[in-house]
Amino acid sequence: MKLPSSSHLSLRYPYFLSAIIFIVVLLVNFYFQRTILEGNTINNNMRVFLPLVLLTAGQAIVVLTGGIDISVGSIVSIVSALLATRVGLDGTVEQTLTWFGIVLLVGIIAGSINGIFIAYLRLQPIITTYATSFFFGGLALFILPQPGGGIPAEVANIYRTSNPLGLHWAFYVIPLLIMTWVFIRQTRYGRYLFAVGGRAQAAYETAVPVSQVIFSTYVVSGFMAAMAGICITLLTGSGNPQIGDPMTLQAITAVVIGGTAMSGGVGGIAGPIMGALTLGVIKNIISFANIDNWWQTFVNAMIIITALAAPGIIGLFRRNRS
Amino acid sequence: MTTSLSAQNIVKRYGGVVALSDGNLDVHSGEVLALIGANGSGKSTLTKVINGVVVLDGGQLLLDDKPINFDSPQAAKRMGIGTVFQELSLVPKMTVAENIWLAREPLRSGIFVDAKEIKTRTKNLLHLFEGTYRAAMHSDVPVSTLPPDELQIVEILKAISFNPNIIILDEATASLDNRQVQRLFDLVRQWKADGKAIIFVSHRMEEIFRIADRYTVLRNGKTVDSGDMKDITEKELVNRMVGKDTVYSLSRTDHQEKGEGPKPVRLAVENLQTRVLKGVGLAVHEGELLGLGGLKGQGQRDLLLALFGDIPYEGKVTVNGKEVNFPHPKNAIRESIALVPGDRSREGLLSIRSILENLMLPSWTNYGFPLRMRRSYEDGNRVASDLNLVMRNLSDPVNSLSGGNAQKVIIGKWLLKKPKILLLDDPTKGVDVGTKGEFYRLLQQLCSEGTSIIFHSSDDEELIGLCDRILVMFEGKIRAELAGANITKAKLVAASMGASEESLA
Amino acid sequence: MKKISISPPVAAVLLAVILFIFSGFLPNSFGTNTQVAISQAVNIIRLSVFLGIIAAGQTLVIISGGEGIDLSAGAVVTLSAILTWTIVLGKDERVLPALVVVLLVGALVGLINGAGIIFLKISPFVMTLGMSGVITGLVIIVNHGNAPGRLAPIMTRVIARPLFLGIPGAIIIYVFFAALMWIILERSTFGKNLFAIGVNRVTAKLSGVNVTRMVLATYALAGALAAFGGFMVVGNTQVVFLNLGAPFLFPSIAAVAVGGTLLSGGKGSYFGSMAGALVLILISSVLTTMQMIDAVRQMVLGATLLIIISIYGRQRGFRQ
Repeated sequence: MKLPSSSHLSLRYPYFLSAIIFIVVLLVNFYFQRTILEGNTINNNMRVFLPLVLLTAGQAIVVLTGGIDISVGSIVSIVSALLATRVGLDGTVEQTLTWFGIVLLVGIIAGSINGIFIAYLRLQPIITTYATSFFFGGLALFILPQPGGGIPAEVANIYRTSNPLGLHWAFYVIPLLIMTWVFIRQTRYGRYLFAVGGRAQAAYETAVPVSQVIFSTYVVSGFMAAMAGICITLLTGSGNPQIGDPMTLQAITAVVIGGTAMSGGVGGIAGPIMGALTLGVIKNIISFANIDNWWQTFVNAMIIITALAAPGIIGLFRRNRS
Repeated sequence: MTTSLSAQNIVKRYGGVVALSDGNLDVHSGEVLALIGANGSGKSTLTKVINGVVVLDGGQLLLDDKPINFDSPQAAKRMGIGTVFQELSLVPKMTVAENIWLAREPLRSGIFVDAKEIKTRTKNLLHLFEGTYRAAMHSDVPVSTLPPDELQIVEILKAISFNPNIIILDEATASLDNRQVQRLFDLVRQWKADGKAIIFVSHRMEEIFRIADRYTVLRNGKTVDSGDMKDITEKELVNRMVGKDTVYSLSRTDHQEKGEGPKPVRLAVENLQTRVLKGVGLAVHEGELLGLGGLKGQGQRDLLLALFGDIPYEGKVTVNGKEVNFPHPKNAIRESIALVPGDRSREGLLSIRSILENLMLPSWTNYGFPLRMRRSYEDGNRVASDLNLVMRNLSDPVNSLSGGNAQKVIIGKWLLKKPKILLLDDPTKGVDVGTKGEFYRLLQQLCSEGTSIIFHSSDDEELIGLCDRILVMFEGKIRAELAGANITKAKLVAASMGASEESLA
Repeated sequence: MKKISISPPVAAVLLAVILFIFSGFLPNSFGTNTQVAISQAVNIIRLSVFLGIIAAGQTLVIISGGEGIDLSAGAVVTLSAILTWTIVLGKDERVLPALVVVLLVGALVGLINGAGIIFLKISPFVMTLGMSGVITGLVIIVNHGNAPGRLAPIMTRVIARPLFLGIPGAIIIYVFFAALMWIILERSTFGKNLFAIGVNRVTAKLSGVNVTRMVLATYALAGALAAFGGFMVVGNTQVVFLNLGAPFLFPSIAAVAVGGTLLSGGKGSYFGSMAGALVLILISSVLTTMQMIDAVRQMVLGATLLIIISIYGRQRGFRQ
């Protein structure tokens, strides 16, 4: 029995398709914005893309084990609200760093709450994280009712203007992420992630600590969301209690574009990271393509939904052929 | 070293259904214990209690005479109990090596999974079955690409990879070919010599007599007999499995005599092909009860599902002389075809809905809008009493019923549609003896009223006792057709194992 | 082993009554003044009508199983309200055509949701969330800042004012609506098949139910019902704005859950969702009386849903 070659390809190289898509959107972007390949523009872009990249990496780990985390966007919002109110525009560098540590802890706690309900109380991930997203979102609004406040410009500028060795921090963070992932993949924990996503019951019968593994993924996701929150606050320099709202669906879309199946068990984080970059580039295109302001939301949403539909459409064609 | 395991008065309930009411067994170092019982007798449940996959509701387990209580499969494993699962415990998208060593990966520097070491160890394990699998199978292929026999080999290797003292083989030979079975038995003898205890669960009598030293028989969730293999014959063993009360007193000759000459063909199939079926042809006459036999998974299920329009197929199917190709089961239902599927809870029932809704599901359109509920209750009650359904109320959820009664509901929903062709996929699996009897009478009554029935059963006795004609399937084809005096257990079994036509004659 | 159990919808009604009595004891509330209490109760019920109607479609998709949910409902409400607003233009005779148009548009949106879910295998949550963005985009285009429009007098009279014996028109419409929903769910082949696909799609198919068609029809109907909700909402608020429907979305899902409908599908009732809507409106009103800000209300809603699913929504463990 031979497998059809296309599905074999995508099983072996799940990032194949996402790489092609990425290159295509880059070319389109180049058409609209000739400066895209210049160092300065690249650094500017990466700075904007990094928050979503971080968020997507966390989401990818959850999706890999067959779950989903709807609450990531509202964790980003909490972080933004916390930093803007606790540190403030006139805070010191030490204060800022301390609060960076605290918000990371907050992200871990938020993720743990998700994890307890999903892994130990065995509730459905979607509806659970939807409920907590509402709760966390309320909390963000409670902390910071209106956009405002911020972090000291001297700290924000480190993120916004400094490019060590000519490259923005993102160029160090993303390879670090991928290296961490390569490292994790080679540990038992890495194998557990794939086993739980592949067939949780079989993993359980084979003595994989399924509940702990599932729990851990939501903690990772919460931590990464907090990281994304820090980055986006550094980027904007100000606080916004709803800044994360649109990011959840973007992160899920990035995972889908990145060739990680929502059913779990295949993929990694390199593809989803590429997916996040793809979405960022698409945003660039929209803003450079002179699309009427009234139409921007619609076009953006259409692109997201088309991206979400793409694997399904490809699947339809495949079934028809065989 | 020596070891012994004893299960005493084990009780296990799933929801309201008692799967095991009094399960007992003893097994010691250096012996093979055959755990025998009909489908649904509780064998699988007893093995799952022993290996910690399910929580027991009563009774106790003794390992080396000490009471033990597993809180997880891991705990059982640590105690040296290894299981080859019937429903494989493999993760499809992971490779052979990854699956075998999952959760026990050898590590480098205490952190990294040692891929090289895993590969070597996997190779050594695969060596045990050398020559019985395809060259394409090796340690690095994803198990989702493997055929059933190789999957089974991986499952076996996974179970023995941590060197257990007690090994449970749950239907481990069902998908293996003769050479592979032979190799497995060589290994089993080796394990015996090493002082391991083996629990062997199988349907195949021949294998049981070949490898087992002792036997334990389960019937309807109870251990009814144990003893040495050398003291018992195959016939006696079968009698113990089925019990005295299931004598298939129904004789097919009665009902054959009624038919004067051949009746017209109602359903004809030519060269039917699906992913599993490799060209099947058959014809069923009006009022005929056609048996479909063979080992599990030889294409019987695909055949019935294809005829019912649930899976696509190639080939020619005619109903009453008219060629059909149903795109959906509802089209088959419109032609008065009905299917009682093989997996009752997953394919036949709406577990949390009422008995009434389960009975009426295909028939609601006959009750107008708004639905005339009183009439549906009347019809439901009538069918329920025709079938002798034991229940309190039609509005109770269907999962409050016992296995046999739930099966009656599934049959009842089709009786309301008065089917002309009834397809049955192993309908008596896990059904108690009394209900089976009622069920056989029902089938014969339906036939005498002119319904054509294709009846697949994994219970050979049942086929022999009931059917006018039996088609035996093997590897997606019909291997033999048995009729009249040719219907014997020996011939049925031989054909099931794929024996050639000549040896059947 | 028999436990005394009350069905979730009844429990929700009891909870609503308790909350209502509790709200009476808050400062600045009705206290022991029955006259005020009754008018307060009628007002609460009237407010629950809009959420209840929007929760109707949600109830259907959740019952249909397969992780069914409709996150586009809020956006559809806004779209439908703005369409009604711009089509009616203050003329009574244009109300009916406007209603037909918004129902069709809602059904179309639902149909697209259903198609994405059943043909492209996109998870309902993600598909409808994506659609929600698309519709919001559409709304921005249609509204273009501030679309000209006006409600017809008849809508205000029927929806927002007392209509008969001092009972608000909205409540009378709600009663008929509820009867219709009951007939759809409990007394029609569609309803019976809906529960069937919610419990077990394989069984449903093997019993002749066309699952694909059922899923498409259910999402289309849910879209139309959400659109009807938008029509009612605009009749009540008498203004339109971009964020009109969004605040209804989460409560509509929570209402279904509070009403005891299984979020995994196959079991539930519209009566439950109505009771759930009442509970949620009461919680909101209690929080308002206690002068809590919106953020707290949102947190309470989130926590409510979390508690409800912890009670009703546990999945099977790995070990039995």
